[in-house]
Amino acid sequence: MIRVTKRVEFCAAHRYVNLAWSEARNRRAFGKAANLHGHNYVLEVTIRGEPSPETGMVMDLKALKEFIIRAVVDDLDHKNLNVDVPIFAKTIPTPENLVVFIWTRLARRLTGCQLYRVRLHVDDGSYVDYLGERGSHA
Amino acid sequence: MPRGPIRRASSGVPIVEVTQAFKFSAAHRMHNPRLSDAVNRRLYGRCNHPSGHGHTYRLAVTICGPIAPLSGRVEGGDDLPRLVQERILDRFDQENLDRLIRPKDGVTSTTEVLAAVLWRILDAALPVGMLHRLRLEETPNNFFELERDDPGAHAVPPRMRPRGGGVRKGSRA
Repeated sequence: MIRVTKRVEFCAAHRYVNLAWSEARNRRAFGKAANLHGHNYVLEVTIRGEPSPETGMVMDLKALKEFIIRAVVDDLDHKNLNVDVPIFAKTIPTPENLVVFIWTRLARRLTGCQLYRVRLHVDDGSYVDYLGERGSHA
Repeated sequence: MPRGPIRRASSGVPIVEVTQAFKFSAAHRMHNPRLSDAVNRRLYGRCNHPSGHGHTYRLAVTICGPIAPLSGRVEGGDDLPRLVQERILDRFDQENLDRLIRPKDGVTSTTEVLAAVLWRILDAALPVGMLHRLRLEETPNNFFELERDDPGAHAVPPRMRPRGGGVRKGSRA
């Protein structure tokens, strides 16, 4: 099995807010992240499969990029995540919740190979990985 | 290869540029309220999206001066991290830029306008003439730079720096 990774970027605004909490409690829990602010996210999607005997490729990288853009990036790039992505009206748009959202979107539509990992970099120093439900024992 | 001279202070000491980089995260929307919605959409494209979007901005601040004989360093840069923290990061990090950019700063929160605002703040906070270049990266692929149009500025000797933390009120920008 070969793993193939495509890296794409998107820019979005968000704020951390737990709607069940008071303004003061949100402030205490999330600090300035409770303000609307933004990030340049870097998304790495890794698929796994055998290279096709005819093309030598697990998946054409250009096709993988277009797939990622259509499946998720179009709905996240230059958007306000809390406002424009229905699930994040109530779910807090942390990187942890974002990778699960991205994984679910991608896994539903991917054919011909397996989704292996979704990695989301929030900045140079931090990223979050999701390997799906099998992740813990794979 | 021609071997031209490097820049030197009048004392003959080489002039060196020193750059320190910082990061902050902020939201914004590019929208000029004096233009129609349709014109704004054409002008700013996806950056005009009504509910806003955001970036991790990277700010690189360059000071420029002669190598000081005793320290072997370009002096004056020691205060820079604290000044950037207090004057810029504490104010702009994890904030909505559209609430901080005022109409007199520019029509909307383009990175050009933001870079000019940050230049004005830093130029006022640093000793006269010390700020040499400011580079603001909206993404690794798009960046905006301002540079002092004053070739003599870097020759300001260190002893001219004001006392008391090196903070000066008032700005020429």
